[in-house]
Amino acid sequence: MIKIFIDEQQVEVEEGMTVLKAAERAGIHIPHLCYHPAFPPEGSCRMCLVEIEGFPKLELACSTVVKEDMKISIKSARVVEARKAVLEFLLAEHPLDCPICDKAGDCKLQDYYDEYGLFESKFSETKEKREKKLKIGKTLILDQERCILCTRCVRFLKEVTKTQELGVFHRGIDAEVNIYEGAAVLNNYTGNLAQICPVGAITDEDFRFKTRSWFLKEGESICPLCSRGCNILIEYHPGFPRFEVPRRAYRIKARENPEVNGFWVCDRGKYGYSYLEEGRADKIILNKIEGKDVLTWENISEYLGEKIKRVSSAKKTSGIALVLHTWLSNEELFLIHKIFRKGLKVKKIFFADLPQGEADEYLLTSETSPNRRGAQEIGFDIKAVNLDALAKGTDFLLAFGPFLSGLFSLKALKEVLSKVKRKVLISSYLNEVNSLFDIVIPAALIAEKEGSLTNVDGVIQSFKPALEPPGESLPEWKVLADLGKELGTDSKLFEDLNSPGAILGEMGKEIPFFKKK
Amino acid sequence: MSLEFSEKTKKKIEEIIARYPQKEAALLPVLHVTQQEFGFISAVQEKMVAQILGIKPIRVRELVTFYTMLSRESLGKYHIQVCTNLSCHLLGADNFVDYLVEKLGIEPGETTPDKKFTLSKVECLGACERAPCMMINFNYYGEMDPKKVDEILDGLK
Repeated sequence: MIKIFIDEQQVEVEEGMTVLKAAERAGIHIPHLCYHPAFPPEGSCRMCLVEIEGFPKLELACSTVVKEDMKISIKSARVVEARKAVLEFLLAEHPLDCPICDKAGDCKLQDYYDEYGLFESKFSETKEKREKKLKIGKTLILDQERCILCTRCVRFLKEVTKTQELGVFHRGIDAEVNIYEGAAVLNNYTGNLAQICPVGAITDEDFRFKTRSWFLKEGESICPLCSRGCNILIEYHPGFPRFEVPRRAYRIKARENPEVNGFWVCDRGKYGYSYLEEGRADKIILNKIEGKDVLTWENISEYLGEKIKRVSSAKKTSGIALVLHTWLSNEELFLIHKIFRKGLKVKKIFFADLPQGEADEYLLTSETSPNRRGAQEIGFDIKAVNLDALAKGTDFLLAFGPFLSGLFSLKALKEVLSKVKRKVLISSYLNEVNSLFDIVIPAALIAEKEGSLTNVDGVIQSFKPALEPPGESLPEWKVLADLGKELGTDSKLFEDLNSPGAILGEMGKEIPFFKKK
Repeated sequence: MSLEFSEKTKKKIEEIIARYPQKEAALLPVLHVTQQEFGFISAVQEKMVAQILGIKPIRVRELVTFYTMLSRESLGKYHIQVCTNLSCHLLGADNFVDYLVEKLGIEPGETTPDKKFTLSKVECLGACERAPCMMINFNYYGEMDPKKVDEILDGLK
């Protein structure tokens, strides 16, 4: 560690670090456009110029390495003047169409102009006309007028995807980013380009003109669409559903996590967010019920507990069957394991997940659910659903998830399930199989609840709710914890398991894999 | 259109590649050889070069469009590049260009119909001591005047 001074503030930093990184580590932001932490410094935008004592000229913070006792000024008059000049040149050819630009409100060039610019431009020449809506990928639109040639996109395609669909052609005032002869940007990570573009040059048709970025709030979550567990931000409209907007989630962004996904998210995770709202179940569905007329979240575990107790005392536990899936969190799977597998010794436990998909060679895995590894570590033997075995001698079926309908025909399911006396489904979706169950309880999705997931490499990642669950939906862990209490197998323990954090703590005590490292 | 390098050029390219620890480093000299063979570098040549060097055609396009000495269009047999930068300008480069325009019957940037000459105005050729100067292909000619230019051009077959 060495010490440097940034605007007289003493900062301890690692040797070999650049000024920009060192400042960032100390919580000081140095303006920059072309620099991105995923790539080596480029030094083309000149926004990060800083004054260093003993250096005759201003230096680039992104590529200058710190030295012991270095005295750096990032706010001196010289630096501010330089920033202003750099901005003036960057804006000399920039169209300033911010009112119709999708990036407005989210644009670093706009922010910096607001902070350091605010000048009358000395350029009176007409700006060059260039392509304004060049379709360069599945959903990507390139506006060459807005481009400031930072080459983040070019470097991303060269260094991360190694597909090199974009290049910089010509030079000087004619320089432009473009694709090669109609060969569009086609890979599984194109969505990141719109995110890393610091200006509005690359925009995304998936988001373009749908809303304005300043209406959106963001919530941290984990992508559940494969077993990588990429860290994401869900940008949603907080007005939903109070006032009319067609949807609540508008955009998924990658959230930095060097251990799992770096700075990126694949296109499936980026664009496949319709699962958050399409066909969601938001009310408890009662198809067939005896005794009570009203079933709410408050008495649902009581109801389930009573049914389970009745079956288990009469027929032992061979009368109970479970269908699970691996979108359930570690905590939920653990509670199920504890209550049913260990407590009631239920043997008929099956898993219904989406079939495996294609993996790519980077982030996307072939598993299409987020927590298969967690289920394995908890001790489940992951068996696919066998309908005959499931129904044979079963009086009570508790099923989770919507995936049965994708695996079997409705007819086959109807035939088999009609043999089961009582059946309850806990699912987030309105689905054709719902009609086959006595009760369907709406459940929250990973984006709407708290818990943790174990990714394909065994990394345990906790998440908090990013969105409100719709209607009456509640997280499964809650109904399971209540059910545990109700069944009285170990009611004192379940009394304490009143949050995912507490459940994970208990897991750590029982299963070494989940012990906090 | 399927084109191939001549055997002679292929050999030359192999020699060039062998000089560098990485194949991509040979890109610029290989482009010069390619231009010598075909007279220009269009998409077809870009792909040929990319294939030989194991890189993407887009990388070749980046260089071809950046460097003014690489041409994307067919040039005449003799490429006349006249310097119009400061020293040459002061010593009458503009008149000299006018003389060439009149003599060849083409504007700067154009090629004669018989494909013999292409005329270009360029920035400093780095030979100010011999201003006004010009290049014909890779040869330098300095202290130009109309008489000298007549002699030189008439001597070119």
